[in-house]
Amino acid sequence: MAANPMTQFEVYRIGPEIKVGTFDISFTNASLFMIISSLAILIIFNLGSKKNSLIPNKLQLMAELSYTFVAKMIGDTAGSKARPYFAFIFSLFMFVLFCNMFGMIPYTFTVTSHIIVTFVLASFIFIGVTIIGFIKHGFGYLKLFVPSGVPVVLLPLIVVIEIISYLSRPISLSVRLFANMMAGHTMMKVFGGFVISLGIVGGWLPLSFSVALTGLEILVAFLQAYVFAILTCIYLNDALNLHH
Amino acid sequence: MSKDQFKTRLQIAKDKILKKELSNKNQNSSSIGAAFKLSTELVAAVAVGTIIGFILDKTFGTKPWLIIIFFFVGVVAGIINVVKSAKNMQK
Repeated sequence: MAANPMTQFEVYRIGPEIKVGTFDISFTNASLFMIISSLAILIIFNLGSKKNSLIPNKLQLMAELSYTFVAKMIGDTAGSKARPYFAFIFSLFMFVLFCNMFGMIPYTFTVTSHIIVTFVLASFIFIGVTIIGFIKHGFGYLKLFVPSGVPVVLLPLIVVIEIISYLSRPISLSVRLFANMMAGHTMMKVFGGFVISLGIVGGWLPLSFSVALTGLEILVAFLQAYVFAILTCIYLNDALNLHH
Repeated sequence: MSKDQFKTRLQIAKDKILKKELSNKNQNSSSIGAAFKLSTELVAAVAVGTIIGFILDKTFGTKPWLIIIFFFVGVVAGIINVVKSAKNMQK
């Protein structure tokens, strides 16, 4: 039994080594689980939307519920202007949710517990939102960095502060998801290790903690996917409806 | 069942749903998310400020000064971020 709680985050190669220039693009366990979760989403939603019966079966109900859930979330936070971006936010939410949930199955790999994965997702959102803002408002988008009603003397300082707070978005977005997933999984592994080392006499207390933590982790897995999607909506809202 | 009876029963059911929705709003599941949102917001801005200071220091060769200044600017930006998102939550 591996005593080190961090071994579960190890990325290893599956199959042959593939190199493009100096980049190592071999197929790893991380890529495997990304593909598994994407395939699971595709299968569930294809089956769910295949038969459009008036009285839905379980899969159709699930697909419809998640559709209305995300649609309501976008409508509440970003308004009707954000409708064209529904497909993107829906797939983002589903991908993060499925990656988190697949990580909850024992002996699997949690893709979102690696900062590079979440950071790439977050920086794509950041770059995309910035481009959308510039397309919609032209250079007027830069007004985002100049709040109204600020004295001219303070303006240089305020602009620097606003730029820093704008640049901190992808970092706070990615660190939140990554830290939550990694901390939770490490904690579960640590308590699991306690069960083994304390044996049949003292192992019951950490075991009960483990059960409680599993429940908490499932909650966190859902919640973090939700927070990730809702913050994307908020950033999108800032880009679409410029008001300061 | 008469029409009036049905109306009162409908009203009672509607009130129950409303009550449930109100109590769901204050559940702590979403407050965990809120707490994490606030804390990472603060840390991320400080990190970005410090990184910008570090890069500017390297390019201009003003070794310790810009990183110190931008660290504090980052702290201010982080606090402003936290206040902003806390205001957003109250809406």
